[in-house]
Amino acid sequence: MLKRFFLGILAVAFIAAVGFGVYTYKPAIAPVTADQHAEFDPAVVEKGRILAAAGYCATCHTSADGAPYAGNYAMETGFGTIYSTNLTPDMETGIGSYSQAAFRRAMHEGVDREGRHLFPAFPYDHFTKMSDEDVDAIYAYIMTKVAPVASEQTANELPFPLDQRVLQSGWKLLFADFGPYEPDAEHSDAWNRGAYLAEGVTHCGACHTPRNALGAEKSGEQYAGAEIDRWIAPALTSANASAVPWTAAEFKSYLENGAATYHGIAAGPMGPVVHAGVRELPEDDISALSIYLADKVGATEDDPAQSEVVLASLRNNRPDPQYRRELGERLYATACASCHYNAEQIEQGRPDLGINSATNLDDPTNLIHVMLDGVNAPEGIAGVVMPGFRHALNDTQITAIAAYLRDKRAGKPAWPDLANSVATIRAEAPVAH
Amino acid sequence: MGNKLISRMNNTTRSGDMTRRGFLVSMTATGVAFGFPRASSAAMDPAASNGIPIEATGDPFEPTLWYWIDSDGRVNVNIIRAEMGQHVGTAIARILADELEVAWDSVHITHVDTAEKWGTMVTGGSWSVWQSWPVYRQAGAAGRTALIEAAASQWGVDPATCTARDGSVSDGSNTISYGDLVAAGIERSFTEDELQALPLKPHSELRLVGKDVTALDIANKTNGKAIYGLDAKVDGMVYGVPLLPPTRLGSKVSAVDDSGAKDVKGYLQTLTLDDPSGTVPGWVVVLGETLMAAKWASAKIKVTWAAGETAGVSEADINDRSRQLIADGTTGAILPTETPDTSAAFDAAANVLEAEYVTQTVLHFQLEPVNATVFQNAEGMWEIHTGNQWQSLILPTLSTALDTPADQIVMRTYMLGGGFGRRLNGDYTVPAALASKALGGKPIKLVFFREDDAQFDSPRSPSVQKMRMAFDGDNKVIGMEHHAAAGWPTGVVVPSFMPKGVNDEPYDPFAIDGADHWYTVGAHKVRAITNDLANKTFRPGWLRSVGPGWTNFAVESFMDEAAHKIGTDPLEFRLQHLKAEGYNAGSAPNAVGGASRQAAVLRRVAEMSGYGATDLPADTAIGIATTFGQSRSMPTWTAGAVQLHVDRKTGQIDVQKMWLAFDCGTVVDPDGALAQCEGAALWGLSMALYEGTSFENGNVSDLNLGSYTPLRMIDTPEMEIAFVESTEVPVGLGEPGTTVIAPAIANAIHAAVGARLRHLPIRPDDILAALNA
Amino acid sequence: MIQFKINGRDVSLDADPQTPLLWAIRDEIGLTGTKFGCGIGMCGACTVHVGGRATRSCITPISDVAGTEITTIEGLDTDSNHPVQEAWRNLRVPQCGYCQSGQIMQAVALLQDIPNPSDQDIDAVMTGNLCRCMTYPRIRQAVRDAATAMNGAQDNG
Ligand code: FES
Ligand code: FES
Repeated sequence: MLKRFFLGILAVAFIAAVGFGVYTYKPAIAPVTADQHAEFDPAVVEKGRILAAAGYCATCHTSADGAPYAGNYAMETGFGTIYSTNLTPDMETGIGSYSQAAFRRAMHEGVDREGRHLFPAFPYDHFTKMSDEDVDAIYAYIMTKVAPVASEQTANELPFPLDQRVLQSGWKLLFADFGPYEPDAEHSDAWNRGAYLAEGVTHCGACHTPRNALGAEKSGEQYAGAEIDRWIAPALTSANASAVPWTAAEFKSYLENGAATYHGIAAGPMGPVVHAGVRELPEDDISALSIYLADKVGATEDDPAQSEVVLASLRNNRPDPQYRRELGERLYATACASCHYNAEQIEQGRPDLGINSATNLDDPTNLIHVMLDGVNAPEGIAGVVMPGFRHALNDTQITAIAAYLRDKRAGKPAWPDLANSVATIRAEAPVAH
Repeated sequence: MGNKLISRMNNTTRSGDMTRRGFLVSMTATGVAFGFPRASSAAMDPAASNGIPIEATGDPFEPTLWYWIDSDGRVNVNIIRAEMGQHVGTAIARILADELEVAWDSVHITHVDTAEKWGTMVTGGSWSVWQSWPVYRQAGAAGRTALIEAAASQWGVDPATCTARDGSVSDGSNTISYGDLVAAGIERSFTEDELQALPLKPHSELRLVGKDVTALDIANKTNGKAIYGLDAKVDGMVYGVPLLPPTRLGSKVSAVDDSGAKDVKGYLQTLTLDDPSGTVPGWVVVLGETLMAAKWASAKIKVTWAAGETAGVSEADINDRSRQLIADGTTGAILPTETPDTSAAFDAAANVLEAEYVTQTVLHFQLEPVNATVFQNAEGMWEIHTGNQWQSLILPTLSTALDTPADQIVMRTYMLGGGFGRRLNGDYTVPAALASKALGGKPIKLVFFREDDAQFDSPRSPSVQKMRMAFDGDNKVIGMEHHAAAGWPTGVVVPSFMPKGVNDEPYDPFAIDGADHWYTVGAHKVRAITNDLANKTFRPGWLRSVGPGWTNFAVESFMDEAAHKIGTDPLEFRLQHLKAEGYNAGSAPNAVGGASRQAAVLRRVAEMSGYGATDLPADTAIGIATTFGQSRSMPTWTAGAVQLHVDRKTGQIDVQKMWLAFDCGTVVDPDGALAQCEGAALWGLSMALYEGTSFENGNVSDLNLGSYTPLRMIDTPEMEIAFVESTEVPVGLGEPGTTVIAPAIANAIHAAVGARLRHLPIRPDDILAALNA
Repeated sequence: MIQFKINGRDVSLDADPQTPLLWAIRDEIGLTGTKFGCGIGMCGACTVHVGGRATRSCITPISDVAGTEITTIEGLDTDSNHPVQEAWRNLRVPQCGYCQSGQIMQAVALLQDIPNPSDQDIDAVMTGNLCRCMTYPRIRQAVRDAATAMNGAQDNG
């Protein structure tokens, strides 16, 4: 999900220059009253529920202790804070007055009922790819199943002129590629279904594609990996840093259970993507997503269990009686190995840190987050947790363990400035998911 | 510790006042075994899921203070020792049950409260079984005799024709259970002479001693039901955590600002303790409705202290002070060895060998951090709920702290989550008592987090020892000197218990035991020196095997050095000097055989380990050492061998196997004995290679497992342990295994690569340094 | 209110969400079989199962376990006859016993994932559990014995 919204100062002048004109103007769509909402087929409502989940609407539209969909989730940007809108069907403060057409326009064009341009923190550049039918289903779900809550949106804390919504039209003109998903005849139906979901409702690129100085996903760098909410969303391309290649089966396990045996778990911002989101999709859709992502990442059919890399990591995982020789190794043996040790094969609940994505990424951020704050019940394998060592180990100790894992277990070049990263991430308040 | 010391502690014989008050014979009217109101809750049955001891059915027969039998034939044995892993109740109760002739499954145990009638209550020094042996045997024999006489008189037969077995008396044609005899009422008393004359069973008749029985405390230690001090629950209790002053002694609180803590939910208040007993000067206790409320609040409370004078003291300062004191020939006590004057020998010496040994500070790190729950109960008694090893020592201090007569204070002794000597010193109960007193007797549970426990530990003092040996022109040993300086636990905590040396200076036997060895070396001077700087900086503790844990590192390393100096094999050299002559010949009852028994275990361990084998791989060797356990007055003949490999490049040591042989007299609880020896030996290994902290700025520098690194499973080598079969007096086994490991390791390292390590712990860098020296 | 299941029982706690699970279990819920040793995840005395996996409860805040199923030593087996507990009793593993709840919970988790552990496997997993009484040789043997017993039971049934 996109919680962080990038804006460049340069962008201001640029957008201002091109942003005026007819393109800017969008008319208001007449409000409807509650009794004007159509009756919805329960099957459509259920489909809407699943799609709303897969698009993690609630995640960004629910504040830490607020009612579901009532908005005011704070998205921090480098320039200020944006608060999400109230998506409940409340007539005054929510979207109760949206007709189906108004909702479609919002989803497909990023314009609210009154005609104001929405900030691209709302990923309409992905939702534009969704079919009318799917968008309507989400509308049906929200109007029937989400309880209306009166909650005013908190004013965004953006400095002038970034707060000028009119500027957003220029951004759209430059970057948004409107229009529904076009199937690719080169690929299977399943692949196309996966692509439709990934590029549309689940908006994977919003986090996994790097953004330019103006906050738009860089064209030509789809899924190349990016920083998001002070975590790393790894590349979903051949640049993916995994020790063993992803497979469609690994993706499927990850998207269904929040854990892939040979890669790691859905933690941090990815936690709710799986657990409050994608895993709600029917199995066929998850398979389709997995096939699509596997293709993007350049997956093989090989069984990772037989991979020499995995077998080597398992051998390397055997405890060394001289584990005391180095601080990181000693701490690992005494604080981590009880759970992270594997014998002949890797158990899903015992992540092997030699091949884990967090230790193989070029950036130690994700590993440090997990070491400091652990994994809570809704992240990773549901109902299973990892304790956090924030109050248990100091920066030197965390750094030593991370360096040991990187060097001796993943066998990768040392992370530069690791100690600083640890100190910085510790100093940041843990992000609430 | 010497006999002298034990006498002082117990006022009478080695068995203390246990016998003297033991035999209040006859039926007791009520079966009340405890001296306090709410009595049963101050005692503890480790086999019960709620810890509450069984109650007698009907009027029990209570032939002595130490047990009763009820009309169901159940035997409840009163144990004054604390349970901290030795299964001590099981060991002691079986001594009694064996003489009494009852089946093990009718035996229950009660760890008693602290009523005065129980006499001195202390669990340490590996004394429990040794001291209990004669007393509980006699007690059992008295009961058996009374029951047989009662049955005989019922049947009108001669008691001599009756036998007792499995809780029943029989004369061949009649049989009656103990329960029925008790139900019918028994009246019998013994004079002191009669008691002494009671027939004790010969060893061949022992049915429980030396056999496998179910330990009564174990089941509850596998299902979470064993109740430790930290598990104490009292209605209405609040939680406290300490804010420790910058120095153990001499700090004063100048200001407390708790404004930052006011918004911590559940924070109650902060107390600056006023301690008339002087145990915890400069202490602040933070109270909360929950433990974490207190803990979180404590992080936000600013205390300003005027620090005591030791705020800058380091380990090096302490050791330098030791060296200074050793060099000053006028300090210290000279122990009463056979020939303490060595001047002639050294004057005449053709050759003198000298070496200095240093051991670092060691933490107890018992797994359950110290804690105590204190309140004043409805009857006005102060109740101290905690795990403790020396109730009799701390109760008077608590009496001063609470300004209350000692008989108004009762301690309920819970299971100990590890003792190792830490809980001999009950200082941690005092702040809990003071906090409760400040709140008018409200129940307070004071919990030390691990870091507090470590900082407030009574660690094993760092030590410096200077060893000297004089040889004549034929390389014959004609004199030996052992100068040992360290902080003295007994000197600090119970100075009145210190015996005097031949120069009339008092000494802490615990801090020098081991130096007064059983080798015949000509003139032998042992000089014990207290380190005043150590004593001021911290509260030196008794830590598993105490002095012998480090004195023997010096003695047994030095014996190796001496052997090498004159070109004799170290085993041979030791055997040559274990001559069992003069005062090393030993005496009854505890040291029958003297040094010859030590030589026997040494030979045994050499055999077991294959010592002397020449086919070991490169840089691999076996080292040996032998000791007499804890003290000359209660020698546990001990020998150990360690095989290890040294990596010359990294200095890493791979300990491959350890062998130990013990002669502890009669083995009462074979499996428990083995367990104690396993644990003790591994402690020895841990202190030899893996643990050790040092003082920095007046406090120990390692407070938790991030940097304090005791032995763990992966460090555990294979072990083989043997016990010499014996019918001698059973002596202690809790600690002796510890004493031989460090010197055996140092000797093995020397044998493997020629480097002599004279500092504990031995770390890879030390080995590299020694190799490169 | 934070809710979870412990030993099959539903509990709701009105406690600070940052409260370590250990203290919630011991002081709020009143199950004291789970112990406190180091408070930094390095001794294992506080080990419980969360979602069936061994977890150091001293550094796990209750907010992280909302909705999970927790098992403590008291809930391992209704009659305290889990094969691991039996092996522990047969070999008389405990000395002071303080670490043993954690050791047993860790060993149960170990045998779930690695039913036939080698000594190296046992060392690797159990090294995170400190036993200050140093009952390690017996723990090692008890894990082997329990593995045999559990595998036997499976083969037979
Ligand atoms: S108390 Fe939790 S690991 Fe030590
Ligand atoms: S049995 Fe005492 S700490 Fe393990």
